[in-house]
Amino acid sequence: MEMFNYYLKLSYRNLIRNRLFFILMITTLAVGVGVFLANIAIIKSMSADPIPNKSDKIFNVSLNIWTGNNPRAELIEIMRYDDAMHILKNDIATHTMVHYQSQVYTRDIESKSLTRHQAVVRATTPGFFPLTEAPFAYGSAWQQDHAKQIVIGDSLNQQVFGGGNSVGKVLEIDGKPFEIVGVLKPWELKPLFYHVAYGQKFKATDDIYAPIETAMDNEWAINVRNSSTDRINSVSDNRGKNGYFIQAFVQLENQQQKNAMQEYIDNYSQHRQEQGEYLRDNDNRLLDVKQWLEHKEVVDERMLAFALASSLFLAVCIFNASSLLLARYHSARFETGLRRAVGARIKDVFYQGVVESMLIGLCCAVLTLIFGWLFLQISITLFPALQQTSDIDLTLILLGIGIALVTSFISMLYPLIRSCRTPLSTTLK
Amino acid sequence: MLNMKNISRIYRSDTIQTHALRDFNLEVKEGEFVAVTGPSGSGKSTFLNVAGLLDSFDEGSYELDGVNIQGLNDDELSRLRNEKIGFIFQNYNLIPDFNLFDNIDMPLRYRGFNAAERKRRITHALEQVGLASRADYLPSQLSGGQQQRVAIARALAGEPKILLADEPTGNLDSLMARQVMELLHTLNEAGSTIIMVTHDPEQARAVGRNVQVIDGQITDHSVYAPVHDNASIVVKG
Repeated sequence: MEMFNYYLKLSYRNLIRNRLFFILMITTLAVGVGVFLANIAIIKSMSADPIPNKSDKIFNVSLNIWTGNNPRAELIEIMRYDDAMHILKNDIATHTMVHYQSQVYTRDIESKSLTRHQAVVRATTPGFFPLTEAPFAYGSAWQQDHAKQIVIGDSLNQQVFGGGNSVGKVLEIDGKPFEIVGVLKPWELKPLFYHVAYGQKFKATDDIYAPIETAMDNEWAINVRNSSTDRINSVSDNRGKNGYFIQAFVQLENQQQKNAMQEYIDNYSQHRQEQGEYLRDNDNRLLDVKQWLEHKEVVDERMLAFALASSLFLAVCIFNASSLLLARYHSARFETGLRRAVGARIKDVFYQGVVESMLIGLCCAVLTLIFGWLFLQISITLFPALQQTSDIDLTLILLGIGIALVTSFISMLYPLIRSCRTPLSTTLK
Repeated sequence: MLNMKNISRIYRSDTIQTHALRDFNLEVKEGEFVAVTGPSGSGKSTFLNVAGLLDSFDEGSYELDGVNIQGLNDDELSRLRNEKIGFIFQNYNLIPDFNLFDNIDMPLRYRGFNAAERKRRITHALEQVGLASRADYLPSQLSGGQQQRVAIARALAGEPKILLADEPTGNLDSLMARQVMELLHTLNEAGSTIIMVTHDPEQARAVGRNVQVIDGQITDHSVYAPVHDNASIVVKG
């Protein structure tokens, strides 16, 4: 320990003595690690498991049924109302939820202000809550399919009611009253696995959760795909028609349950084929959350390309820092030679270098975190879509410190080896 | 104390082999003060580097204080350098931003002494060279002669078996050179074994034994009666 302290003291002196040199070198490394860290922060957030305790048990259901004859096309990942109801009403899965997203305007019906807030609605089924583990602060889900009851998220609760227990209060949605039966705690899902399409994957969780039947009854808008000759006059008119707009997820605990569900949807699509509908070549598909996110390419390929570029940039920074250190060790070889002459072993010189690299690494880590945060802010400013995907959490802070220490060590390694190998007789006179 | 037999040191480049030392034989007994002289390029410094374990040799055998050097690894060589050898360089080789205390402290750190023991040895070494009151001075605040005395103190602090001095007065004016030489004589009289490379024939004659090296070989052993006048030099801080 005494030698460690001695090396630390020597390293500190070196840093102070050559402060301009080390500022340059540490900044070089910190810029490289900072850019890398900012990139990792984005990719980590993009590739995170949103529901790690059961991501292997939740499956997206995609059917191979389509009204038009286009067998080679990809599976369509949304389904018709009737398909969704068949998925919902079998009793194979532990939890099942079907949903679509809409937008409404809303206000506290008791409020004197007529200001209405735009809100995102998840029109779904009660199975949504246990399946996604949405945390209730107050109340619970609705009990009846057509109930004029809703669950609201924490954000809307804060915005409209100022927080607190709002169960029993009434929210006006598009001019109609809806009773609040549940309020969620603050809740994040990154990525928002149940709705990764249309740029939604890193959005916040929803403001309002309403029964899907109620949402359709009240004509809450949908994006619908339809290639049939059906004339669909309204949202509620989708029942029994060929409008595709609903996504389905099921929770299956084991392979047996999964096999049963697969058999069920295969039989269902076979039945629909017999009714005159077309099937696509691809089989009906059950993808768990990780497979689903991978399939939906949640981690943008451009980000992966940028990750590669930032890795190469980091390598360049390490080479630069290493070159600078090589020059410094060359100029300091007298001191190294002297230490060796008076009794320092090669390993003593090496340990001293390692301690110095640790000290440099720590300085570099501090700068790295600052630069990392700065680059993230620049990225968000230039690309606002990254807003929801750019957290530097404790893990990343520790990772940043770790990378800074490792890169400092790597930068120092070759110069240190060279320094240790310098013949003593050439350095001293 | 030091026994070299048939030592050869060959420097090789792609096309040239240079015999810096060839069949070099030298025995130095404990308490001797040996001056090594010779023209430039004769092999004096190579001899000193090999003797000080700063350089290896290609052939022959070398024993230092009863330890056969051949085959020792870096750890063992470093320990021998630290415990048995004190170096005095022509350029002093003091670390400029370390004060005198820290400069002398350096070899003691690698010996593993505790703080109290290091302090005792440093204080004693500085007293021996007359600089006890300047422990916290930087080298740049001292004259050349004083800096060389600090280098001697650094060599002495480890209480080595042998002092190796490479032209210790080469960078000093005559007065300071006399002071340094007198200090070395005093140390020798106190029992230190010293080998000194020098160009100065007067200094060589002033020590008990002179070894002349030419073309990497010893060509002359001369023993002189010491001519220095210990009483006429006063070492001052």
